[in-house]
Amino acid sequence: MAKEGLGLEITELRLGLPDAEHVTVVNKNEKKRAFSQIDDENSSSGGDRKIKTNKSQVVGWPPVCSYRKKNSMNEGSKMYVKVSMDGAPFLRKIDLGLHKGYSDLALALDKLFGSYGMVEALKNADNSEHVPIYEDKDGDWMLVGDVPWEMFMESCKRLRIMKRSDAKGFGLQPKGSLKGFIESAAK
Amino acid sequence: MRPRVAYSFPEEVLEHVFSFIECDKDRGSISLVCKSWYEIERWCRRRVFVGNCYAVSPATVVNRFPKVRSIAIKGKPHFADFNLVPEGWGAYVGPWIKAMAAAYPWLQEIRLKRMVIADECLELIAKSFKNFQVLVLTSCEGFTTDGLAAIAANCRNLRELELRESEVDDICGHWLSHFPDSYTSLVSLNISCLGNEVNLSALERLVSRCPNLQTLRLNRAVPLDRLATLLRGAPQLVELGTGAYTTEMRPEVFTNLAEAFSGCKQLKGLSGFWDVLPSYLPAVYPICSNLTSLNLSYATIQSPDLIKLVGQCESLQRLWVLDYIEDAGLEVIAASCKDLRELRVFPSDPFGLEPNVALTEQGLVSVSEGCTKLQSVLYFCRQMSNAALDTIARSRPNMTRFRLCIIEPRAPDYLTHQPLDAGFGAIVEHCKDLQRLSLSGLLTDRVFEYIGTYGKKLEMLSVAFAGDSDLGLHHVLSGCDNLRKLEIRDCPFGDKALLANAAKLETMRSLWMSSCLVSYGACKLLGQKMPRLNVEVIDERGPPDSRPESSPVEKLYIYRTVSGPRLDMPGYVWRMQDDSALRIS
Repeated sequence: MAKEGLGLEITELRLGLPDAEHVTVVNKNEKKRAFSQIDDENSSSGGDRKIKTNKSQVVGWPPVCSYRKKNSMNEGSKMYVKVSMDGAPFLRKIDLGLHKGYSDLALALDKLFGSYGMVEALKNADNSEHVPIYEDKDGDWMLVGDVPWEMFMESCKRLRIMKRSDAKGFGLQPKGSLKGFIESAAK
Repeated sequence: MRPRVAYSFPEEVLEHVFSFIECDKDRGSISLVCKSWYEIERWCRRRVFVGNCYAVSPATVVNRFPKVRSIAIKGKPHFADFNLVPEGWGAYVGPWIKAMAAAYPWLQEIRLKRMVIADECLELIAKSFKNFQVLVLTSCEGFTTDGLAAIAANCRNLRELELRESEVDDICGHWLSHFPDSYTSLVSLNISCLGNEVNLSALERLVSRCPNLQTLRLNRAVPLDRLATLLRGAPQLVELGTGAYTTEMRPEVFTNLAEAFSGCKQLKGLSGFWDVLPSYLPAVYPICSNLTSLNLSYATIQSPDLIKLVGQCESLQRLWVLDYIEDAGLEVIAASCKDLRELRVFPSDPFGLEPNVALTEQGLVSVSEGCTKLQSVLYFCRQMSNAALDTIARSRPNMTRFRLCIIEPRAPDYLTHQPLDAGFGAIVEHCKDLQRLSLSGLLTDRVFEYIGTYGKKLEMLSVAFAGDSDLGLHHVLSGCDNLRKLEIRDCPFGDKALLANAAKLETMRSLWMSSCLVSYGACKLLGQKMPRLNVEVIDERGPPDSRPESSPVEKLYIYRTVSGPRLDMPGYVWRMQDDSALRIS
């Protein structure tokens, strides 16, 4: 039932029918509130993360030779997205283009964050402390696994593996929606 | 009243003895012994190194050394690599090629670094030297594949063609076809910096018909599914740089690749690996244990796959890698790579505001403690502590090159929030043979006191965002007896230290200062006082004398020279002696 509903919504959105417009508006409103919450949280948790204001780049610093910079910049042609995990001190980068589906992604995230409980998140979804979410190109935070892989790849801007308790505040539905992700991973 | 008879070796004997002396410094000393040794030495000198293309004129070199076979020349200041030297500054190799074309018909080898070389120069090289064998261009610019085609077509005895990190206007991939079918003498080919696709058929034919080919470094555009063919054509390779290391997932590609790598029994060095697809990395595992050199500094391999790869290379002596290696990988290296001599760790996201990898000072500490032969380090990281630097210094007193870049300018010891003076002080104190040092982080004049006190063999020093006053610079200039190159940016060093140590500058190859506190007046005074120095102010805003003499100059480059002012200065370079002359006239 839930899946069919999602499918219908997607179809309506694509066709651009009046009902779709209505649904879009509603979704946007909801998502924007969620996005604001993320911003608030980032601000409030200043102690955990160092929030730095924009700094003007110093010419020639750090001393990476211009040849290397040019060659590394080609990285932009790949589908790199940043991945952060609550509680982990470092961000990661992952190339979505190298993965064929959600199961590949799950394995990659496991490699990157295994020591921070990602394995548990996968094995025991309902009781896991972490939930993978992503920011789409509209700036809305969505649960990983809710949409087809190709759509996810096209719209994903960055990933976050957040604590379940925080997910509730976003109005996301961790229990039901995670099933798709886990089922994909199990394949 | 007895006649005094002086005996000495015949010239032929001395010439033979001198032929065993290869060190430039020793050669220079020999030529100072007496007039006859000077004459013998200059006639049998075959190899010349010019550390600064403006320090001596081509005519002077040609007149003094008539029988040179090999020449190496350096051009722009090192800071040109980081866009601190404006476009069109100079370092044109044209005058050198013209002079050598006229004087050295038997020249065999040319090595250039940070120079501008036009296609016309490459064409002149191709036509002028009858037995030309080696062309190495490092960080050069100004030429196109048309120039390379001329080299390929005309240099029948070419052994080495190496293009390293150069800016090439890559017009056409067919320049390789200009190597004649009868040409088989290639030993080393490096096209890694070319941007476009090369003619793969021509490349494969060239590689397979040259039986002595030892080094092959491909450019990114060479696809992975053609690598196996190339390797089967040259199983004797010692060093290989792959092109892109990714392609569609096809089992036969992996199988072919794995078989081809297994057939390369002599492989000692690997590089390249652009755009890595981790699934293909196991193809190289069979040869990993033989590798002594691995350059993965353009390979975006995530930490787990990178650690797995590097962990199998227990014979490594040289490793260049991105910071994806992380502390965990460096611990693996520390435990397994006991022959490691050189480590370079580059940043994968140098302009990001937050760390994107788990690389810290701890990784460098691990390698310092575990790799007892480590001599050379280049390390980019985001945090460092005095304690770590002290541990590194005590663990590796044999270090000769230590370049540390903490990405945030003026970052203090992240544990104590103190300056990093004591840590770098430990480095210069314990590493008694230290020749090259690059500083970063929060540093006061105290670190320069350490450097001046202990850095007796230091030849090159790079300083950024450091120091408090002129005293810091004074410590360096008055204490580092062997200093040859000093480059300084964004430090509060001014006139007093520079003028007080003016004589020191004549013993050095060059000094670069940008965004410091050296005044225009001091530069003029220095130029007048030291006629054998070229004191050049670089100011793209206009004539420096349109501003008060006390105002700091933006960029200053001072170098010793026996050839006087250079003739190709762009409009924004102002030689201080010239202004003086203009005043007189």
